[in-house]
Amino acid sequence: MKKSNGWITVGPLLLLLFLLWAPTSQADLGDQVFETTLSNGLKVILLENHKAPLVTFHIWYRVGSRNEEWGKTGLSHMLEHMMFKGTKKHGPEDYSRIIQENGGETNAFTSRDYTGYFATLRSDRVQVVMDLEADRMPNLNLREEDFVTERMVVMEERRQRTEDDPQAFLMEQLEATAFQVQPYHWPIIGWMEDLMRVTLEDLKRYYQTYYNPSNSFLVAVGDFKRGEMLSRIEKTFGSIPQGMAPKQEKPKDPPQAGERRISLKKEAQLPFLVMGYRIPNLHHPDAYVLEVISAILSGGKSSRLHQKLVLEKQLALEADSENSLLSKDPALFYVYATPLPGKQVGEVEKALEEEIERLQKEPVEKRELEKVKNQLESSFIYSQDSLFFQAMLLARYEIAQSWKVLDQYLPLIQRVTPEDIQRVARQYLIPDNRTAGTLLPLPPKPGQEPPVGSSGRDRITR
Amino acid sequence: MIRLLRFSAVVVFFLLSFGSMGETLLAMPPVQRMTLSNQMVLLTSEERSLPFVTLQLLIDAGSRRDSAGEEGAAYLTAKGLLLGTAKRGEKAINEELDFMGASLNSSPGRDYATLNLRVLKKDLEKGLDLFMEVLTHPTFPQEEVKREVQKTLAAIQAAEDQPDDVAEKAFQENLFLSGPYRHPVEGTKKSLPSMTRETLDRFYKKYYHPNHSILAVVGDITPEEVKTKLVPRFEKWPKGKISDAPVQNVFAKGPKTVKIDRMLTQANIILGHAGVSRENPDYYALTVMNYILGGGGFSSRLMEEVRNKRGLAYSVYSYFEPGKFPGSFQIGLQTKNVSAREAISLAREEMKRIQKEPVSEKEIEGARKYLIGSFPMRMDTQGKLVNFLLQVEYYGLGLDYPEKYSRLIQSVTREEVLRVARKYLQPENCILVVVANQKMADIE
Repeated sequence: MKKSNGWITVGPLLLLLFLLWAPTSQADLGDQVFETTLSNGLKVILLENHKAPLVTFHIWYRVGSRNEEWGKTGLSHMLEHMMFKGTKKHGPEDYSRIIQENGGETNAFTSRDYTGYFATLRSDRVQVVMDLEADRMPNLNLREEDFVTERMVVMEERRQRTEDDPQAFLMEQLEATAFQVQPYHWPIIGWMEDLMRVTLEDLKRYYQTYYNPSNSFLVAVGDFKRGEMLSRIEKTFGSIPQGMAPKQEKPKDPPQAGERRISLKKEAQLPFLVMGYRIPNLHHPDAYVLEVISAILSGGKSSRLHQKLVLEKQLALEADSENSLLSKDPALFYVYATPLPGKQVGEVEKALEEEIERLQKEPVEKRELEKVKNQLESSFIYSQDSLFFQAMLLARYEIAQSWKVLDQYLPLIQRVTPEDIQRVARQYLIPDNRTAGTLLPLPPKPGQEPPVGSSGRDRITR
Repeated sequence: MIRLLRFSAVVVFFLLSFGSMGETLLAMPPVQRMTLSNQMVLLTSEERSLPFVTLQLLIDAGSRRDSAGEEGAAYLTAKGLLLGTAKRGEKAINEELDFMGASLNSSPGRDYATLNLRVLKKDLEKGLDLFMEVLTHPTFPQEEVKREVQKTLAAIQAAEDQPDDVAEKAFQENLFLSGPYRHPVEGTKKSLPSMTRETLDRFYKKYYHPNHSILAVVGDITPEEVKTKLVPRFEKWPKGKISDAPVQNVFAKGPKTVKIDRMLTQANIILGHAGVSRENPDYYALTVMNYILGGGGFSSRLMEEVRNKRGLAYSVYSYFEPGKFPGSFQIGLQTKNVSAREAISLAREEMKRIQKEPVSEKEIEGARKYLIGSFPMRMDTQGKLVNFLLQVEYYGLGLDYPEKYSRLIQSVTREEVLRVARKYLQPENCILVVVANQKMADIE
C-alpha cells in the first residue's frame, strides 16, 4: 500500500471521461472499447488510441494470492517470476531481451486477484510480444535449477520489500489480523517459510490449472486498427487449447464485531499508525461513496487530513487515506499517518478520528463536494495521457467485475450526496469495524541476528 | 507509504530517462522555440487530443548554488514558492488549485528547480495567473517556512528507515570532498534549523530570473494562445543578473570502505566512484557501455551474473549520474547479509571484464536497438515531453537532437565501449558503502 497505487484510486474516472470527451462524437464506452471472445475462450479487449506510434499489450491471468492455500503462499508471484525462464523454443530471460531489442519495455505484476504481463513497444513490433506470450501460455519450461535460483531471488525481494521496511511489515501484520477467513489474510509475496516449502511440482500444477485461455484475457491499447489487430490475435492465440476456467469463489470473513488492535515493535525512526475498516467493493453502491470520502480526506493539499494534521496542527509528516474499490473480494478502507518527531501516536490517532467523526456528524458542504468531484474528474482526464494506464484500468475492472461497469463510475460519483457520505461513514468507518495497527519504534541497535518475519502491497512487480 | 525524501532516486530517474533517449524513424513532435524580450526561452508543442495543458519552468537555481552553511536554501526556496504570495495565503492557493482540479508543484534538484502546472484547458487563464503569482510574488511567510523546515527535518529522519537512502547519502557524502554536489538537495540536520524567510528571499532574488529560465508548454494550446495568453504574462517578469563564480566537484580517491551497522536482513551495497558531466563527449559511448554492464534491465551483465545465475539479489544495476557537473558512477544492489562479500566481488569482476575484452557484437547490437528503438516512449505523454524539451534546451542539444542521438548511438563501436570502460571505470578505486548487519556481512 505504498502510495504507488494512489493513482489507481482516482483512476476509474479516467477512462470514462475520456470517452465523453473523445473527439469522435458522444462515443459510448461500447463504441470505443471492443470486446470479443475467441473460439477457445480467450477474451480480447481492444482500445484504439493513435496519439503515439505505440501499443501496450497486456495479458492477464485470473490468478493471484487469493487463489493460494495455507502453507503454500506466494505461489502466484513465484510463478510470475518463472514465466521468464523460457519455453521449449526460448531460453531463460530471452523474453526480456527480445522485447528490449525491439525497443520495448516489459514487466509483470502479481496482486491478490490477478497476475499481469505487459510489453509496450512500437506499433509495428506488436507481433513480437504476441508470439512470445502465445508461446509461454501453454509451453512454459519449468526446470528445477531455475526454480531453486529464482526462489532465492524472491526471498531477496521479500527481504527488500518487507523484512527491512517497518511500515510494510506492519501492513502485513494488519492484513493478517483483519482477514481471518478469506485469502487476503496472507501477503502476496508469501510467508518466508512458505517460500521454502513450495516445490516445482506445486508450480507445475498451478500453471496447469490457471494458465489457459479460459482463465485469461488480452488487453491492447494504442496505435492499431481493430480489424487487423484482431486477426493477428486470432492467428497467434486461436489454436491454444481452451482449458478449464477454475472455480473462483472464495470464503469471506463474517462481519467484524469489535475493534482489533495490533502493535509492532521494530527498529525505526518514527512511529506509524494505520487503521483498516472493513468495506464493500464495487459490487455495492456504497463503494462509490467511499471513493468520494477518500477524496475528501486526502485528495490534494486542501484535503481534510493534509490541512488539519499536516498544516494546521502539525502533528504528522503525512496523513492519507485509500479506498479498495477494485478489489475482487471485499477489502479495507485505510486511514494512516506518520507522526512528526516528538508527537504522540495517541494524539495523531485522536486527530484522525476527529476527521472521521466529522464525516459522520456534519454534512459536507456543497462547495467542498463540488471540489472533490472536480478533482476526480480532472484526474481522469490527465491520466488519459498514458496508454499503459488505460490498459491497466480496463484490466483491473475486468478482474474486479467487468470493464463494462467503468461507465457507471462517473454517474455514481456524481450522484453521491452529503447524506450518503454521513450514512456510509456511520455504517463502515466505526471502531467496531476496524483493525488498528501501530508501529512502535525501537532505538537503532546494531549487529544481531534479526528475526525472520513476515508485505502489504496492492501489487508487486517482478 | 509515501517516501518523501527520495531525492537521489528522483535525480537518477531523471537522468536515466534522458540517457536512454533514442531515436527511430520518428522525429520530435513539432516544437516552436522563441526567446522573449526578457531573454526567457519558450518551447511549445501543440497536441490537442486531450483538453489540458502541461507547463514546466526550469529555473537555473538548483542546490548546487547553495552557499556554505545554507545547504537546503535552494530546496526550501522552491518549496516556499507555494507557501503564500502577496495576494493569497497558502490555504487559498491550495483551495483554488484543488477546486480547478489542477496541480501546481515545485521540484528542486541539484542543477535546477522546476515549477510544474497541469490544468484543464477551460481553466488555463486562472491557472496561469496562479503560476505567475507564485513565481514572481512569493512572500515566504515566516510561520509556513518554519513549518516547512520542521517537515524537511522530519523527512530526513524518516528516510533513515530506508536502507537504500542511507547508503546513497553515505556514498555521496564520501565521494564528494567539496563542490556543488557535496550536500543533499534538501539540506542537512545541521544547516536547516538556521534557515529563515530571509535566507529564502535572498536566494530567490539572486537566482530566480527569466533570463536563467526555460519554459516548456505542451498540450491543448494554440500558437495564438501562446502569443496572447502566455507571452504577455511572462514578459512582465523582469530580468536579473547572476554572477557565476567558477566551481568544481572534488572527488575522493578510493579505495575506501564505509560500513554502517543496522539490524537488517539485507546488505544494501553501493560501489562506485567519480563519473562524468552531461557535456562529456564520451556520453554516448558511456550510455552504451553502461547499458551492457548494468543499465539494461534484465539484459545487463550484472543482472545476469548476480540475479539470474546466482539468485543473490532482486535488484542490481549501474548508472552514471551526469549533470551540469560530473556526478557519480555507481553500482547498487541488495543481498542477504551473508552474501554481501560474494556480490561485491561479482560486481567488481564485471567492471574488470568490460575493461578487459570487447563486448560481443550481439551485446552492442542489443544495446543500440533498445536505446534507439525505445525513443518514442521518451516523449509519449505531456509530462515526458516537457521534461525532454527542457533538457534539450538546458544542455543545448538542438531541436534536431532525436536524429542526432540515433546517429551517435549507432556509431558507437565495440572498441569505443572498451576505450570508455578503461578510461572511466576504476574497479580498484571504489568507494564501497555497505549498510548491513555488519557481524553477518563480515566485510574486510
